[in-house]
Amino acid sequence: MWSCRLLLQRGTRLVSPRAAGSPANLVCCIRTVKTTTWFEEHLTEDNQEYMRKSMAEEIRRQTTEKLNPLKDELWQRNEWTEGSRRVGLVAIKLGMAPIWTKTGERHVVTMLQVQDCHVLKYLSKEEYDGHTAALMVGGKNVSPFQRSEEDMEIFRNAGVPPKQKVTTFKVSDNAIIKPGTPLYAAHFRPGQYVDVTAKSIGKGFQGVMKRYGFKGQPATHGQTKTHRRPGASGPGGDPAKVFKGKKMPGMMGNIFITASGLKIWRVNTKYNVLYVNGSVPGHRNCLLKVRDSVLPTRSSTLLNPPFPTYFTEEEGDLDEDLYDENLFVHTEPSLTLT
Amino acid sequence: MAACVKGLDKCMFSLRLLRNHQLQNERFLSTSLCRLNAEQPPKFTPPPKPVIIDKTQTEASLRKFLSPEFVPPRQRADPFKFFIERKDMIRRRKVLNIPEFYVGSILAVTMGDPNASGKSNRFVGICIQRGGKGLGASFVLRNIIDNQGVEICYELYSPRIQQIEVLKLEKRLDDNLMYLRDAMSEYSTVDPNMKPVPFSPTGEVPVNQLRVRMRPKPWSKRWERPRFNIKGIRFELALTPEQMEHAQKWEQPWNEYDMMKEYDTSTLEEQVRSEVQREMSK
Repeated sequence: MWSCRLLLQRGTRLVSPRAAGSPANLVCCIRTVKTTTWFEEHLTEDNQEYMRKSMAEEIRRQTTEKLNPLKDELWQRNEWTEGSRRVGLVAIKLGMAPIWTKTGERHVVTMLQVQDCHVLKYLSKEEYDGHTAALMVGGKNVSPFQRSEEDMEIFRNAGVPPKQKVTTFKVSDNAIIKPGTPLYAAHFRPGQYVDVTAKSIGKGFQGVMKRYGFKGQPATHGQTKTHRRPGASGPGGDPAKVFKGKKMPGMMGNIFITASGLKIWRVNTKYNVLYVNGSVPGHRNCLLKVRDSVLPTRSSTLLNPPFPTYFTEEEGDLDEDLYDENLFVHTEPSLTLT
Repeated sequence: MAACVKGLDKCMFSLRLLRNHQLQNERFLSTSLCRLNAEQPPKFTPPPKPVIIDKTQTEASLRKFLSPEFVPPRQRADPFKFFIERKDMIRRRKVLNIPEFYVGSILAVTMGDPNASGKSNRFVGICIQRGGKGLGASFVLRNIIDNQGVEICYELYSPRIQQIEVLKLEKRLDDNLMYLRDAMSEYSTVDPNMKPVPFSPTGEVPVNQLRVRMRPKPWSKRWERPRFNIKGIRFELALTPEQMEHAQKWEQPWNEYDMMKEYDTSTLEEQVRSEVQREMSK
């Protein structure tokens, strides 16, 4: 199986020659020249079948192994103290739904599902940035055949199937976790506040009215060919220049945006779904980074969280659904407001 | 064959009863005499036809109705999201009975209200629109009270709703009766103290072929245009034939051949319906 892997001539330089010359244009160029072979090009049909089956079996074996992290010696578990930061999760945005409180108010929530989230690597203070330690966490499982060798190394060391999104979380020293431990949605509890980071939906090259909300010009009264233009670009003769960072048309969206201070209304431990208040950047089925909120006004809501993370073996008897105290559960009778 | 045997069984049983009775009374007569007297095979009456009452299915499901908000919309969303939402919807339906109704039926909704006397208020109206999918599904009821038209949009799964009852179950010629805003007021008035009209849980839902008279133009929307595809308005009383022809200019006859607009939900509906029935009966 490993000999087949060497056949993959994965070049990281997949960009076409046009863009390689001018790095500024990399963003605009979408077309890539695929000169590499895919894993099954030089294999016979039987071998292709065998490769697929063996990969699926290996992934299944790895996930079952990792379900009981307490069986291997865990790293030391410490208690939660004020000011310690714990890991976050990688989740998938499923969609949005309405919820109602016990007083009859209606709010909207986004449903985030935590699928196959594993800790991949521990970066100590010196390795990372000199101040805080970090943990690399990976999200959804994907096929290993389209990943490069350097990426696969990290997954192989952790003993985990390859992931679609890999992010780092800055973590305090008492919250480090052994690589390979799975992370579940019960890591967060209802009533807690989180920050969600994701790549916003890309809108392409957009004008200044959509991008920054400029007013444009009137439609009539003699305007010649000027209805959505930016107008003036700055003050006049004194600076005699246009300041850096002037709002002008350009690429909009497809950048990382963080929505902070989102309340968690409900956690489904069976399917690993978090119900997070309001809307979240990103399209449906996109991967997001979820972590405890850093807002100072919300620090009091984080009391006794599962530290460093939630382990199924220790606290295995959580209900299937954990609700916030103000949330109306649908199994209760209708509200009679007073 | 089995029927004959059953009949004979009954006869034999009744004969045996008679025989016992006679034996008790006429102890001194021999048993053979009794048998001779009583054993005249009576005229064969076939047993009544067995009536199959399907007790496993509830009354509402006998008509095979699936509420339209259960059918997932045409999106690139994970079906798992609709599965979770459906679980919540079924949980709510087990507490509050949401009956089967269509656009054009007359409903009465009791909703909790902190400012009303008795903490709840009841509104009766004709359903003019059903919108939304999943937990956010809603319906709009219209009525005319004290010469003022009132429309209230209720969310089916809102916890403030205490009771939904169907006073009259019927369908109309259209899926959307928003044109009642421009119709004469008698078509939107519903008596608030109306008694529920009994309807059978089996059989077809009656379609009311009523075509409505409109107020003079201008209307809130140009209902004569083909994009609304309205069959329930008497256009011949409101518009001239020239105006009708002019409205046909906005026709888009290619839409019915557009394959990208086709979305067949039959298999999806079957799956969802079986799942919902299974969960509701648990």
